[in-house]
Amino acid sequence: MSAAVNLSAAGRRRLSPGRAGVTFLLWAYAVFALLPLALMVIGSLRPNSDLLRDPAGIPTNLTLDNFVEAWTTGNFAEYFGNSLLITAGSVVITVVVATLASYAIARSRSRIIQGIEALFLSGLVMPLHLAVLPIFFLFEQLGLVDSRLGLTLLYAASGIAFATFVLTTFFRQLPVELEEAAALDGANQLTTFIQIMVPLVRPAIATVAVFQFVPIWNDFFFPLVLLRTESNYPLPVGLTTFFGEHASNYAVAFAGLVITTIPLVALFLLATKQIVAGLTAGMSK
Amino acid sequence: MRRRTALLFTAPALLLFAVFILYPMFTMFSYAFFSWAGTARGGFVGLDNFVTLFTRAPFTTDLPRAAMNNLTFFIGLMVFQNSIGIGIAYALQSRPRIRQSLQTIYATPYLIGPIIVGYLWSLLLSPVFGPVNSALRALGLDSLAVAWLGEPSTAPWVVIGVSVWQWIGFPVLLYGAAFGGIPAELGEAARMDGATNRQVFFRVTLPLLMPAVGTMTVLTFIFAMEVFALPYAFGGSTGSPAGSIDFVSLLFYRVAFGSGATDAIGNASALAVLLFLVIFGGAFAATRLLRRYESRLVG
Amino acid sequence: MSSTARSGRLRRALAIGIAATFAASLTACAPTQSDGSDVTLTVWSWRPEDVDSYNKIFDVFEKENPGITVEFKAFKATEYNQILATGLAGSEGPDVPQVRSFGDLQPTVAAGSLVALDDDIDFSTWDPNLMATALGADDGKIYAVPLARQMWQMYYNKDIFEQEGLEVPTTWDEFIDVNQTLLDADLIPMSLGAKDSWTLPLTHEVVAASRFGGGEFAEKRVTGQTDFNDPDWVASTELFGELAKFFPKDTTGITFGDAQALFTSERAGMFPGGAADLAPLQAANPDLNIGVFQVPAAPDSPEGSGATTANWADGNFGLSSKSKHPEEALALIQWMATPEFGQMVADDIKQISAVPGVQPSDPILREMNELANASGSPYLLYSGFCGGSPCGITTWGSGLQELLLGSKDATTISKELEESVSWFTPAPAQ
Repeated sequence: MSAAVNLSAAGRRRLSPGRAGVTFLLWAYAVFALLPLALMVIGSLRPNSDLLRDPAGIPTNLTLDNFVEAWTTGNFAEYFGNSLLITAGSVVITVVVATLASYAIARSRSRIIQGIEALFLSGLVMPLHLAVLPIFFLFEQLGLVDSRLGLTLLYAASGIAFATFVLTTFFRQLPVELEEAAALDGANQLTTFIQIMVPLVRPAIATVAVFQFVPIWNDFFFPLVLLRTESNYPLPVGLTTFFGEHASNYAVAFAGLVITTIPLVALFLLATKQIVAGLTAGMSK
Repeated sequence: MRRRTALLFTAPALLLFAVFILYPMFTMFSYAFFSWAGTARGGFVGLDNFVTLFTRAPFTTDLPRAAMNNLTFFIGLMVFQNSIGIGIAYALQSRPRIRQSLQTIYATPYLIGPIIVGYLWSLLLSPVFGPVNSALRALGLDSLAVAWLGEPSTAPWVVIGVSVWQWIGFPVLLYGAAFGGIPAELGEAARMDGATNRQVFFRVTLPLLMPAVGTMTVLTFIFAMEVFALPYAFGGSTGSPAGSIDFVSLLFYRVAFGSGATDAIGNASALAVLLFLVIFGGAFAATRLLRRYESRLVG
Repeated sequence: MSSTARSGRLRRALAIGIAATFAASLTACAPTQSDGSDVTLTVWSWRPEDVDSYNKIFDVFEKENPGITVEFKAFKATEYNQILATGLAGSEGPDVPQVRSFGDLQPTVAAGSLVALDDDIDFSTWDPNLMATALGADDGKIYAVPLARQMWQMYYNKDIFEQEGLEVPTTWDEFIDVNQTLLDADLIPMSLGAKDSWTLPLTHEVVAASRFGGGEFAEKRVTGQTDFNDPDWVASTELFGELAKFFPKDTTGITFGDAQALFTSERAGMFPGGAADLAPLQAANPDLNIGVFQVPAAPDSPEGSGATTANWADGNFGLSSKSKHPEEALALIQWMATPEFGQMVADDIKQISAVPGVQPSDPILREMNELANASGSPYLLYSGFCGGSPCGITTWGSGLQELLLGSKDATTISKELEESVSWFTPAPAQ
């Protein structure tokens, strides 16, 4: 923590009303940040008739029936499984290929490699959803329409830009001496990479994993066009299926929303520590 | 690292990237140069589709308006997310015990999918059923209980506000880390010279934060130019009400899939190319400026 | 059945982005007949609400045609266009997809995705107004079988009317009185969800079509004898603006779903809506005592122009040119033009069937149908002005929003509408 930002004399810190006011504001904003989420959770615990009468009112009756119904009749178990498969799959693939590539980029002075780095970074500015039609035709040619594998590969490719961006920064910060030492011990490039370098960039990997997991988990656009069978649908698509068929059953819909969002919250809480460490380390050069 | 090894290491990523990103993007760009009948491609037409973007309806009315909206969105985001983000990050620096929890809480809206966000906020702000207006009325602030998403003057602010709400975690984290990277001695030295806390903040800390602000600017610019899901969730593909939250990507979607024009794909692709050039050009220029500023700072 | 974002706040918001809906297919995915080749036909639709009904209906077809299984897949309406476009362009597309009407149909026709049905089905007894929705603009051939007749009229709450001592208005003055009485009683006279701008051109038709001259004006406009700067059109728009005080406060912030909810929770006396909205209204509040009427002719309406109902056909089914089982698919589509199918559509899906001679069983639907038969007119902006970019409905919806917000006047938005349809080429006068 930087002392430059500390308010000066320690004694004056604790009790000033200004400070208390700011702390209050911080917590007030925290409530504001969580409000819609709370609304969603509360909505999922109320019976649908209550919701229709009084959508944002104070709950009186609480029930878990909505979740049961969403999971079973609503097929959310299946959607959940698909989401897990597609999202985790693509994150794993991206992390593997991007870490390999980033290491090479960080450690190589070749012009070609630098060109590749620029290429990957340009991916950050590519609005992929605009290319939905060519992607569809590509999938047709590769026989990947209505395949979860195809979707996974697409997502994995889309994550390369950001992953490279973060990982190259981290790799560049690691001292070259580490590899030199490993080489002296007789290790080859790959072993050095796997056993020494990768563990050192764990915070970066965690960051990349989370920042890729969330948007892919929540994406509705590509599964829309590229998947056809219901049994392949991930959660966001399943949600609409559900809304279409059970239009006025808002309560179960909310339960579906909660099922869709809670895993992300869990993942995020787990990974937060790593991410903060990662970003902080990255910034302070 | 030897070049051959490096190439081997980058090969898998390169292959994946080339097949699923580069190829479709280039194909999409090429679409802009052909005529189209539905989804059947016709002959080469050069820059005709681009000319259409500047001469024919709906582009002559909708494109400038949408572009203005994207720009306002960008400026709004920069102002609010930077001021609030820096403010919060600064306040959190001196509260180490609650920092972790608050940072996590502030970041949770990011986890909610944009469609869900759009739905939840529409519900909260509904003039008929929403609690926000009821609460405002209960507090005696009747004049503020307007149709937030129904007025062209307030709807864009809702989109900006909800975007900031959704993404604030990132600037807070980034600026927090940036604050952490400022050496203590600088502030100490200034204070010893008699500078007040306020002066330290504005004259010492803030300038050193500029690289982080720069990064934030580039990323925000890209986001603001591409934004689709949130305005779609609030205003549909037309940017209702009255096109006040119409953005370029909504226009693209509307033209490509929503109109009766049979040559839609050609025009939509031309629009996509234009958008890409703007984003790429803007990001490139901003990054160059940033590098130059950074080197001036260091050197 | 509207081809744009529909009803419930939730449905709309989530629909708006979240992907496709796929109805659980109740029919077996794999053929189980022991004898010979079983053919599976896929039917696509943007009506996931109707899944169960369609499966029931297709069961009948399957019984009459052993060896054919029909798989019904439904997707969310707001994303249907792109799903259909990619589906028909690919190789695993539908055999019999639901297709859009009028201008929205043209990209599908232009891509060569549909088979012309002129030679295989006899449409001679069908309403030409409905057939117009299924024609290819360039060759005038028929590319789909119209499914349901859509129309908008004014729904009203019979109980509230009785309570306030009101009767169905037969003159314009009576109509204004009804509105005023409801307003004075602290009720919302006409529940309008102007946030969903597509409802506005339709509401304009419901309340003011008589003022611009209904079907006759439509004919003149389409043949280029007049344009949207025509004083009758502008006057009808001003009339719409004058009725603004009878719409809910903050109507531009209220969605179509909210508007329905206001009506079904009996906070509003009237609700301009479509025939396809009857079923959801009844489902939301089964005790609601609903009636329907045509808004009487406005004062100063052109000679011979009276109360009228804008109507068109929607939900049409087409035959894919890439179908792997063209004979069986044709059999299915021919069956969709029969009264047997039409009656099931009327009874199970609760729509007014386009098949001639089929009457809906619901009394309210029947009343709407009869009113439209007595005096109907085309939904001008859809039938004539959605065949290019921008679609007239989008521009006019946005314009009417600005009128309601007070930022533009009737003359200005009419002028802007006219300018926006510069791509339109008039048809020759008949």
